[in-house]
Amino acid sequence: MNHRHWSIGLLMVALAITAGCASNVSIRVDETFPEVVAEPRDLNATLVMDQAFQTYQATPNSKTRILIGPPQVDLLTKAFSGLFEQVEVVSSRGLAGPNADLVIIPSVREVQLSTPSESYLNVYEVWIKYNLDIETADGVPIDSWFLPAYGKTPSSYLLSRTTAIEDAAVVALRDAGAKLMLDFFRIPAINGWLQQRQAMRAEQ
Amino acid sequence: MKYLALTIFAAAVALSGCGSTTTVDDYRPTSEPIDIGAGEKVAILGRRDAGHYETDRDFIECLAGKMDHSDFHVMSEQEFIDALYPWFEPRTAPKHLKRLKRLMEEPVIKEKVRQQKIRYLVWLDGEVESHGMSGAMSCGMGPAGAGCFGYTSWDKNAMFEAIVWDLVDLTEEARIRVDSEGTSYVIGIVAPIPLLTPVESQACAGMGKQLQSYFTQEVQ
Repeated sequence: MNHRHWSIGLLMVALAITAGCASNVSIRVDETFPEVVAEPRDLNATLVMDQAFQTYQATPNSKTRILIGPPQVDLLTKAFSGLFEQVEVVSSRGLAGPNADLVIIPSVREVQLSTPSESYLNVYEVWIKYNLDIETADGVPIDSWFLPAYGKTPSSYLLSRTTAIEDAAVVALRDAGAKLMLDFFRIPAINGWLQQRQAMRAEQ
Repeated sequence: MKYLALTIFAAAVALSGCGSTTTVDDYRPTSEPIDIGAGEKVAILGRRDAGHYETDRDFIECLAGKMDHSDFHVMSEQEFIDALYPWFEPRTAPKHLKRLKRLMEEPVIKEKVRQQKIRYLVWLDGEVESHGMSGAMSCGMGPAGAGCFGYTSWDKNAMFEAIVWDLVDLTEEARIRVDSEGTSYVIGIVAPIPLLTPVESQACAGMGKQLQSYFTQEVQ
């Protein structure tokens, strides 16, 4: 009888450990980003970030959910404020005013996560793939730009899984801001649109 | 008495084995001290662009602590990259002086550096590697108790390089390389006894001392 009790006890411990390993993780990324150091261009932009984008929760796998909606709104608002003189943030395309030079509609295409148990590396890695649909105020599409961002933890030693994923997501979001600042006006379609706009203004 | 002498001897042998050898090499175009004005700051930044490693944040913090001086302020890495976001992120940070010069041509960035009084940037790169593991140790658990028996050792090598850039004159002021190596042991006599070689702290102390000696206070 005593032996049976021990067996049940051990089984319960094993089940508890296994259940712990299989638990779902929900991570909330709480981060506000610094203002960007940049000279904005003399252009107006409307940033359309709908409710789904503002509250976006990524599910890179069936057991992990990462809430990146609020920090990505903060990041993109600040980054675009470094690119454009005036930025208006609206929650739907219909609310975009007619005076904007460009209307930008960001969306999350995919979020990927790599953990040490999968990669055998001592780091957690996060990839965030954005898509920016860029059009004129009257709805003429200019480009649909793919914006990939990457972040990793320096090392996963002494970090809990949630902290490590949150840290990697913050690095990925910062990277998205860096790529945006570096490359937005280098997008061939945007560059072409700018040149065309300048030529039209020169003619007038 | 005999046991005490033997224990002291064994401890001395073990601890001497944990010592590390540190070599500091530096290059400066001049032997003049680097001048830093009152209230000016030195920022320390670790390289993060390599795929397989990142410069250890603990090492950066250690170095900032060693360099901290009452006459000038050492700016933390996070404070620096936030102040100049996004121009010193892994994707955008200038890796060479030429790129730095191009970056500082942007009036808004130059003004921010001036406003924040960031005079020097210490670019830090390096890592600690472990190799040459030898020995064997086994640990067991039974009804009577648990314990480890055996011995294992490994070599640790810390290699760090610091480059000092002047953000006002846009010149390279100094280059320091620190190598620190030593052997760590774990001896299992019932309980595992780790005897770890402090290569990282030795490298930090060597580099911090060297860097601090470069800076002098210029009274303005």
